[in-house]
Amino acid sequence: MKNNNTKLTIILGILCFLLMAAASWYTVAYNDSRLLSPINPAEYTFRTQDLPMLISTVLFILYFFYLFLLLIREIIANKRTERTAQDARHLDPRLGCFGFLGFLGFIGFRTYITDREIFPFVFFLFFGFFGFFYEGKMSDTFMDERYRENELRAQAKANQIASSIILLACVIVGQGKLMGNLEYTLIAFLIVVVLSIALDLFLSKYLLYRYDHGSQFDESED
Amino acid sequence: MPGFECRLKKYRQLKEMTQEQLASQVGVRRETIMRLEKAQYNPSLKLAIDISRAVEVPIEELFIFK
Repeated sequence: MKNNNTKLTIILGILCFLLMAAASWYTVAYNDSRLLSPINPAEYTFRTQDLPMLISTVLFILYFFYLFLLLIREIIANKRTERTAQDARHLDPRLGCFGFLGFLGFIGFRTYITDREIFPFVFFLFFGFFGFFYEGKMSDTFMDERYRENELRAQAKANQIASSIILLACVIVGQGKLMGNLEYTLIAFLIVVVLSIALDLFLSKYLLYRYDHGSQFDESED
Repeated sequence: MPGFECRLKKYRQLKEMTQEQLASQVGVRRETIMRLEKAQYNPSLKLAIDISRAVEVPIEELFIFK
């Protein structure tokens, strides 16, 4: 993103935030905190005093929509650059440490018992970030035909392993009788799918590294 | 790779080229040339032609598939 665009995005964000703060203050001071405190949408009737809050909310939503569009545009632009790039992207191998965030997934067992909340299991996805360690080791490598071939081979192998695990889970867990409880079945299935995706992310980088540096032989010049 | 023989090393040395020089001439990494010489990598037709031109040896002399 160009510098001017970044500045504009930040300024718009600050403006939206200030507008929202001003509208909230107005609502609390002059409009009985309407639209700030929870309301039943069925019983809502419009009042002119609601306008500041409504306008700032709409602007805030539009701003988030704008941010989302920017994100999509950046992703597409990055993909295009990757396709035409000669060298592998530069990455610090230490980013692989983010893989440890995957252990946050175990919080899911606790939250399920206390609040019946299973979303934290999704954090197991972060295990896939261990792949950054191997990707970082191959930073700025010139991507010749052997590299690209190995990349495709690694991706295909990783996809095959991950989809095999998911298929097995479908057959075994999908019978829906894990410990005689449908909820446990859903949780087990969620964990298996999330871990398989993480494994796919990790393996595609790890196998690429293995294929590239693979078989042990003397790498010295004749 | 069974049935694949590569005589690149011999002809490259005859041309007094290093792996690095050949690699940069044909637009690949030195590791790729190394694997080729050990017959551990099956090159694309384009790379095979580029190499054969670089070492000035017919392609069928360089790569032999039994």
